[in-house]
Amino acid sequence: MFFRFNHQTRLKLLLLPYLLGILILVIIPAILSFSLAFFRYDALSPPQYIGNLNFILAYTDELFALSVQNAVALVLLPVPLRVMGAFLLARLLQRHGRFLNTFRAAIYLPSIIPTAAYALAWLWILNPLFGPVNLILKAVGLNAPAWFSDPQWAKPGLILMSLWQIGEGFLVSLAALQDIPANLEDAAALDGATPAQFLRHVTLPIMAPILLLLSFRDAVITLQDSFTTILITTGGGPYYTTYTLPLFIYEQGFDLLSFGTASAALWVMYALTGLIVLFLYIIARQWNIGTTDETFVI
Amino acid sequence: MKPSSFNQPQRTRRAQRKNASSFTLFAPFAVKSLRLFTAILFLLPVFWMIAASLHPRGVPLPQTLQLLPQQPTLENYGRIFHLIPITRFTLNSLIVVATAVPLTLITSSWAGYSMSQLPRPSQRRLILLSLAILMVPGIALWSTRFLIYKQLGWTGSLIALIAPAFMGSSPFYVLMFYRAFRRIPHAIYDAARLDGAGVLQTWAAIALPIARPTAVGVALLSFILYWGDFTSPLLYLSSEKWYTLPIALQLLQQMGRSDWPLLMAAAVIATAVPTLLFLLLQPYFHKPQ
Repeated sequence: MFFRFNHQTRLKLLLLPYLLGILILVIIPAILSFSLAFFRYDALSPPQYIGNLNFILAYTDELFALSVQNAVALVLLPVPLRVMGAFLLARLLQRHGRFLNTFRAAIYLPSIIPTAAYALAWLWILNPLFGPVNLILKAVGLNAPAWFSDPQWAKPGLILMSLWQIGEGFLVSLAALQDIPANLEDAAALDGATPAQFLRHVTLPIMAPILLLLSFRDAVITLQDSFTTILITTGGGPYYTTYTLPLFIYEQGFDLLSFGTASAALWVMYALTGLIVLFLYIIARQWNIGTTDETFVI
Repeated sequence: MKPSSFNQPQRTRRAQRKNASSFTLFAPFAVKSLRLFTAILFLLPVFWMIAASLHPRGVPLPQTLQLLPQQPTLENYGRIFHLIPITRFTLNSLIVVATAVPLTLITSSWAGYSMSQLPRPSQRRLILLSLAILMVPGIALWSTRFLIYKQLGWTGSLIALIAPAFMGSSPFYVLMFYRAFRRIPHAIYDAARLDGAGVLQTWAAIALPIARPTAVGVALLSFILYWGDFTSPLLYLSSEKWYTLPIALQLLQQMGRSDWPLLMAAAVIATAVPTLLFLLLQPYFHKPQ
């Protein structure tokens, strides 16, 4: 009995760095930032309670409304494209054939490029005058847009460049596809199903929950990670067309040193993420995946 | 699109051919070319980055399409060293990954191992906690982590960049390890315990070696995370002495906005290290036979 208790305690000790780290680096900062919205705080003098002034300051700011709109647009547009792309590529490179591992590595390669380097590279690739993409467009006689310097084309530019970094979705889709028994496909072929029919009526329904989970995870990640990319490529411009919520929060907090207003703006971020998590949870419950044993993908 | 029609028994293939008409016959070639095309498409950004970095200084950038510069040169790589202390920045980046990646491997696999051995109700609670933590927006932590680091005296030093490694960097890695350790039959753990192996011994000698593909995956993912981390140095560092490579890229960009060959050379340097690691680790991703 004593040995058993001891063993359990030792097991729990291994969990300690993780739980302690979560507490200090995530839970406490998250709660603090949640409540900082009610204080005036500039990191120099002690915080001062000011009620809901920060919310008024943030939510009446024209740039705030714009930043929320942009953030939502830059999640809703690329995420379905990214997830569908990752799935189709996984289907294409699912099994059989030579150089399969090389091809898979090629798909994954852009995803390991550091974000700052990746953003710089695309700033070059989409350069209006010398960038290879516009040179190709001109060579085939198409109209070459000014991408990141054109208010109309800055968002499409950001969306386009996000389509090359889909390594994680690709790997998850690949793993999920491998779990579909191969003889299911043979049986369908024997029954006369074309590959397109098989994809539509067998593969997609099986993969649907995983693709949905991937979409929501991708949405949460895109909402946050676009900050570095945008800061380097457009800086939020031109004319604030790519100015998103993270940029607003960064400027309020670290440029203007009004951490309280930044926190008030963060509440929307929490709400957006909370909404996504709620959907995630409902889906996970519905299909009984995500939280059960072997099948969880997130 | 019918990749599976390659190594199938003759009977099935004949049946398929009869039913699915010419589409299937055509498929293998179409699939092969499509695969090659997408692979090239995905390598293009890296290729363009390298090609631009070889463009000689002083020669105007071409306004027509060409694969490589006419007189490729490596001089842009040398020029970076004169402009910014890139050696120092690279060293800082290397210090960060050399500390944070092993630390992450230890703490996340400890947590994952512990989770996989606890009773089922505890497992469920810890999974839910991890998933919840995973969903906390990183931006929510920027300013308050800054305040906590300041209290602890960590701002302005590399510890501020390494700190998340103490909690395994991301609950995602912990869940990856948890999943891998749970797949190992419990009898193996029991046998080790009967032989007198302690918790740490079982973790090091039995669980980790079996979960090698996961460990390699977590190592690579956390390497990419710390090597490419742009926001932590941006927010928590003040002196140039501790800047890492991503910040060096931004510095260069602010110095010469249109010196594309130089910027691309710096981007190639920042990309080369994780790419090399990725290619070296390739064979280890596959499950041990």
